[in-house]
Amino acid sequence: MIGNVIDWIGAPVIIAAVKVVIVFLVLLVVTMLVIWFERRVLAFMQSRHGPNRHGPFGLGQTLADGIKLFFKEDFRPKNADRWAYAIAPVAAMVPSFLAFAVIPIGDHITIGDRRVDFLVSDLNIGLLYFLAMGSIGVYGVVLAGWASGSKYPLLGGVRSTAQLISYEIALGLSLVPIVLVTGSLSTKTIVAAQAGTIGDVTVFDGIPLLQQVQGLFSFVPNWYIWSQWPAFLIFLIAGIAETNRAPFDLPEAETELVAGFHTEYSGIRFAMFFLGEYIHVVAISAMAVTLFFGGWHGPVFGVVEWLWPLVWFTLKVLFFVYLFVWVRATLPRFRYDRLMWLGWKRLIPGALIWILATAIVNTQGIHRNIRLGVFGLLFLAVVVWMWRGDPRLGLIKPVTRSRVREVPSGNL
Amino acid sequence: MMELAQQVGATAAAVDWHAIAPELVLAATACIVLVADLFLPDDAKWLAMPLSAAGIIGTLAAIVSLIGAGNRLTLAGAFEVDGFALLFKGVFCVLGLLILAISFHYFRVGRYYQGEYYFLMLCSLLGGVVMSSARDLVTIFIAIELISIPGFIMAGLRKGDAKSNEAALKFFLFGVLSSAVMLYGMSLAYGATGELLLEGIRAKLTAADEPLIVLSVFFIVVGFAFKISAVPFHFWAPDTYEGSPSPVAAFLSTISKIGGFVGLIVLMFRAFPDVADTWRPIFALLAILTMTVGNMIALRQTHIIRLLAYSGIAQSGYVLVALALIEPGATASNEQAFQSAVIYLAIYGIMDAGAFAAAVAFARRGGSYFIEDYSGLWQRSPVLATLLAGFLISLAGTPPMAGFWAKVFVFLAAIEAQSYLLAIVMGLNAVVAAWYYLAVVKKMFFEKAELAEPVEVPAVLRVAMGLAAAALVAVFVYPRLVTELAERSLF
Amino acid sequence: MNLEVVIFGVMFVVALGCSLAMLFAPNAVHVALFLVGAQMALALAFLLQGAFFVAAIQIIVYAGAIMVLFLFVIMLLGIDLRESLIEPLTGQRGVALGLGAVLAVGLVFVGVQGADLAAGGGDGAAALTELNQGPGNVKALARALFSRYLLPFEVTSILLVVAMVGVMVLARRISAVENDRRAGVPAAEEEAA
Repeated sequence: MIGNVIDWIGAPVIIAAVKVVIVFLVLLVVTMLVIWFERRVLAFMQSRHGPNRHGPFGLGQTLADGIKLFFKEDFRPKNADRWAYAIAPVAAMVPSFLAFAVIPIGDHITIGDRRVDFLVSDLNIGLLYFLAMGSIGVYGVVLAGWASGSKYPLLGGVRSTAQLISYEIALGLSLVPIVLVTGSLSTKTIVAAQAGTIGDVTVFDGIPLLQQVQGLFSFVPNWYIWSQWPAFLIFLIAGIAETNRAPFDLPEAETELVAGFHTEYSGIRFAMFFLGEYIHVVAISAMAVTLFFGGWHGPVFGVVEWLWPLVWFTLKVLFFVYLFVWVRATLPRFRYDRLMWLGWKRLIPGALIWILATAIVNTQGIHRNIRLGVFGLLFLAVVVWMWRGDPRLGLIKPVTRSRVREVPSGNL
Repeated sequence: MMELAQQVGATAAAVDWHAIAPELVLAATACIVLVADLFLPDDAKWLAMPLSAAGIIGTLAAIVSLIGAGNRLTLAGAFEVDGFALLFKGVFCVLGLLILAISFHYFRVGRYYQGEYYFLMLCSLLGGVVMSSARDLVTIFIAIELISIPGFIMAGLRKGDAKSNEAALKFFLFGVLSSAVMLYGMSLAYGATGELLLEGIRAKLTAADEPLIVLSVFFIVVGFAFKISAVPFHFWAPDTYEGSPSPVAAFLSTISKIGGFVGLIVLMFRAFPDVADTWRPIFALLAILTMTVGNMIALRQTHIIRLLAYSGIAQSGYVLVALALIEPGATASNEQAFQSAVIYLAIYGIMDAGAFAAAVAFARRGGSYFIEDYSGLWQRSPVLATLLAGFLISLAGTPPMAGFWAKVFVFLAAIEAQSYLLAIVMGLNAVVAAWYYLAVVKKMFFEKAELAEPVEVPAVLRVAMGLAAAALVAVFVYPRLVTELAERSLF
Repeated sequence: MNLEVVIFGVMFVVALGCSLAMLFAPNAVHVALFLVGAQMALALAFLLQGAFFVAAIQIIVYAGAIMVLFLFVIMLLGIDLRESLIEPLTGQRGVALGLGAVLAVGLVFVGVQGADLAAGGGDGAAALTELNQGPGNVKALARALFSRYLLPFEVTSILLVVAMVGVMVLARRISAVENDRRAGVPAAEEEAA
């Protein structure tokens, strides 16, 4: 009977289902730990103690909070839109979980004669899938803001819609150079392309001196971060904005909007938003590791070979989670217009220029020296452009004309 | 689907860069104008116009370089450079230069967004240039959209003016509706044949009585009828022309309209000639309605732009006559009809743009758009009066201007195809049209002026009008100039 | 009966249900949400066909960007009341019904004739499978776009720039200075300011 069912469904589907369940459970536990981690690190940075009562080092604090949220009254405002209000937390949480389907968290193990990857699904559109999940996640925030039927959530929702849509563009554009270099949208291929060390790369073939210099660095892993750091910076900034975290946490700016889009939520529904946000943080961190820091690659020592990649991956992700916390503890919140300015006038043009640079450097059939030369010139142009307002460069004179005259003409 | 697999298989089709050089030059010019506008100070924004003109001249050079190079087919047959394509690319570019001349002072003095205007105009022109070579449904659709969409924005450039807003909105709504209808028709054609290339569609159309093809052609024709403002799909045109800035009206009534006709001609002659029996009656009906209604309403107009708008509608009717003469198998008469349509479009573009130029020149300083105020123009500015009279006489189809030959060729084609009804209706309409065109001429030459001071015409405009008029006279004297081109443009 | 059929069934029900609900929902936001649901179901349909790229783009562009903008506008304008039942154009229902009928007839024709064509014109599904296994879905699409359909593709990008420029030109607000100028305040004063 069970055998029949397995045959009908097929072994790959069952393996995938098991993977899904494992990833889901692991993520739940990880979230608990990450919340504890954030509170402890924040406390450390602010010379406080942080949660230290429940369990060893206060590890049980999140669990206690979760249980409390579970038993709180599930409150719905009178003006709220019944269905949208109920859907919103789910819509905020589920895509964050789903995004993990394309993140390779380790190499593979062999069970019987079957190779099982530490990756739920190797989609050939992995990166697009990741972006799609990010764009679905916006609905949670938008709907929560609208459905609550009160002012602060609505304002928070409108704000966050604008913010998320804007930064989604920069986030998507920052992935393009990686796709250009790898020639694939699959996360598995991207991680595989980052195997080995810098010594293996063939950029400097035919130039002996540079090759020798390159040889000195053959202990450095061949991660994309070395060549794609501008893309990484854009990805990181846009990623922080996408997760609504400080310094881009305007949708929930306490001083202006109480708690933003989730002001009216309490109990388990609020917990879902909270969960979604932290899973999203972990997802962005994992994606950063996958794209720019070699994914699960790292030195493997003899014992339990399949375990080491998992360890390296976890450590790398942990570093980025720490970075998120660090940024939150350090940087003050952006003003709204500065946020939009950064997104539209710096990140998006920057990402586009970087795509152009990457495309030119990777063009086949043009001599390599020309490619490198163009690369260098573009890089210089970007640097000059970014700092062109700096008086030390002396590129532009201070503005003396009155601003009134600068209004463009036109028979309006 | 099998074909799809072949198309996108291992070998990517090589692109013939020389064949698409005119498009590339024009697109590059548009981008340069847009970016240059960012860096030009307010009082130098007008430089966008000479820049655009240089770009169009460069495009013309690219077109000339393609003459005599034989038929070039690239992008897997979707893009063809033949005599027809080259002729209309040239016509579009010449008209583009004329429109630039009309626009220059209008936009400079009026303090509009000049750079953006020239960018939009060049993009629309690019649509026309692409349309001339488009030989598959996708390219034709994209080209017609590229012609129209900048037009929606240009029509609304007088933002403070409620009429301009109305013009833009009407144009936009009708344009979008017509695109949707056209797209539906095209999708039916694709669904029926599984082909995007016009040649492929023609090859697969075996049974002419397929209701699907009738439906498809009907929707496509209705969609294009909006674009070329054929009656009963003309409602938007007069209001849009009147409300939008006059150079834009000139653009819409020449380049935009001819672009629509080019698409229609290509579709009808390349994809559906074998099922002409199904669509000939549609065109005959459209032609008769368009000529008659356009001329009847034009009789009563007092505003020169509205007069030109309605007369332009009537002029579309004459071209539709040529399309209504096609019969499957009748090669000789079909060729004649085709040539007459091509000649009509080329000449119509020049004379209509010239008339608009004269109207804009008159309305510039203290003048007006009302026909009453044209009385006695001969005493005030003899040159302007003569030029305007020349363009109007040409539009009326009387010697000694090229418009005469345009009408004669269509008329002869109708006789040749033994469509006497169409020929008679056309003849009657030509008489009615002559009435209102010549009424304006009479006002200018035989009535007394209320004002004495001459009308000041900028040099750019003067040169442009002079050249246009000279071209029209030259074609009248030596019609081989255009018939030769029309013969070469036969498919 | 296999898993694909089950998924297709789910997709079918969701797409149809969402579309119908969209027509009859009185609340603008709910209508938008049902539209999102229908688009997700469509994306699933693309997935079932093996068109992964189109499916992802369907979600990112339609569900992720366009519908969010719809919601944004609805929220900003506050159209969360019941639709107004006054129709400014008299008789538009009849015209709409007539046109709808014509379009439906056309679709039925296409359906019937399309079936004929599929019978004679080769096996679409097999070609698609071949494509997905050969160069791969994304690469095949890229090849088609950048060779055979290069010109329409690039012209579309120009069209998008035109739309952007148009929005800027039309939406730019009139400044106080501009108002003065139109009211006839001499330019000299502007210089002084």
